[in-house]
Amino acid sequence: MVETRAADTHPPYLYPDYKSTRLRAPAQPLVRVPPSPLEAASPSFPRQFVKDSEADLTTWGKSAPLGEKMVLVGRVLDDGGRPVRRSLVELWQANASGKYPHPVDDHDAPHDPNFLGKGQVLTDDEGRYRFVTVKPGAYPWQNHAFAWRPAHIHLSLFGNAYAQRLITQMFFPGDPLCAIDPIFNSVPEAGRTLLVAELDLQHGIEGVALGYRFDIVLRGARATPMGV
Amino acid sequence: MAQPTPSQTVGPFFDRQLLWSDGGKILFADQGERITLTGRVVDGNGGPVIDALFETWQVNAAGKLPIGGEGARPYGYGRVSTGADGSYTIETVMPGSFKGPGGETYAPQISVTIFARGLLKGVQTRVFLASLDAIKDDPLARALGNSDRLSTLVATRDPNNPKIYRWNVQLQGGGETVFIDA
Repeated sequence: MVETRAADTHPPYLYPDYKSTRLRAPAQPLVRVPPSPLEAASPSFPRQFVKDSEADLTTWGKSAPLGEKMVLVGRVLDDGGRPVRRSLVELWQANASGKYPHPVDDHDAPHDPNFLGKGQVLTDDEGRYRFVTVKPGAYPWQNHAFAWRPAHIHLSLFGNAYAQRLITQMFFPGDPLCAIDPIFNSVPEAGRTLLVAELDLQHGIEGVALGYRFDIVLRGARATPMGV
Repeated sequence: MAQPTPSQTVGPFFDRQLLWSDGGKILFADQGERITLTGRVVDGNGGPVIDALFETWQVNAAGKLPIGGEGARPYGYGRVSTGADGSYTIETVMPGSFKGPGGETYAPQISVTIFARGLLKGVQTRVFLASLDAIKDDPLARALGNSDRLSTLVATRDPNNPKIYRWNVQLQGGGETVFIDA
């Protein structure tokens, strides 16, 4: 079995209800070693590498994308509550119809020529990030009969150390599809609320976009060498 | 302590939105011996993992941390996806060896993280670009002791082209690659 720590909120590798884990989940325990000096550092994403326009996914096309406009705000913190500053946050998602711009997505739903569903920002000095996008649609998948993924937004984070690298998904409050989603439910019960954004009207745009808040906590640096 | 945000799978649909242009050609501020690292990612049945996100991070030829970047990419960092046969290819420079905080020597290596559909958390490991004999004092080799699993982390040099290093990743089963929690 892969080891888990007492406060671990991460899913296991093997979660048989999510069928794709069955042949891909490592079965051997992870080997615990201190991060190398390389892994304790982070690749450099200087400010000029990220364009301001990449924070707004609704201005990518010639006209506005279809769907319900939304603002996503949040802070990136480490597990000691400290802001993770000037770190890259990448976002990708399906369009409002639940369709990705990917050739293997065979969901019978339309592409939106005005929506690529890709954005990136650097956090500010308080660890804050902000995107403007549209709410993605739910979509069916092949995992089991009548399987539908709840609406979700993919987020990719680099933190300030390679060992903090995280890819996750954000879900919407009150979505009944979460209860039947094996990917969401792979997370230990106590951790599931950490994947659900809060409605945050104040951070929306009056008359234009709903606001949601999603704070993200990355692991801190591993201080004590543990060996195997 | 705040609870860490749980990991979730990268899913199968990231290619058009997450990959970088020429993400497999690793950039550095300085020169070095150009090499290619290539291989396949396979599942517990030996079948190709056709939709993995394969990321690499390494020191430069002199064993120094790469600082800065060019275009929209940081130095020293690679990002590709696997193909229909599970293969990946990274064009980079031979990393130098480097020292840890306690004076320990890290053999020439590349840190690798793989995300994929079916991986609820990314897997992290290190691939060595040196022979088994030459890495025996590396901290990860020491942590593994005499385990024959260490050989899963050693890239083999192509006998016909010494600039090519081959390394396969087996996510599960007999011959499963060593993954680390660093």
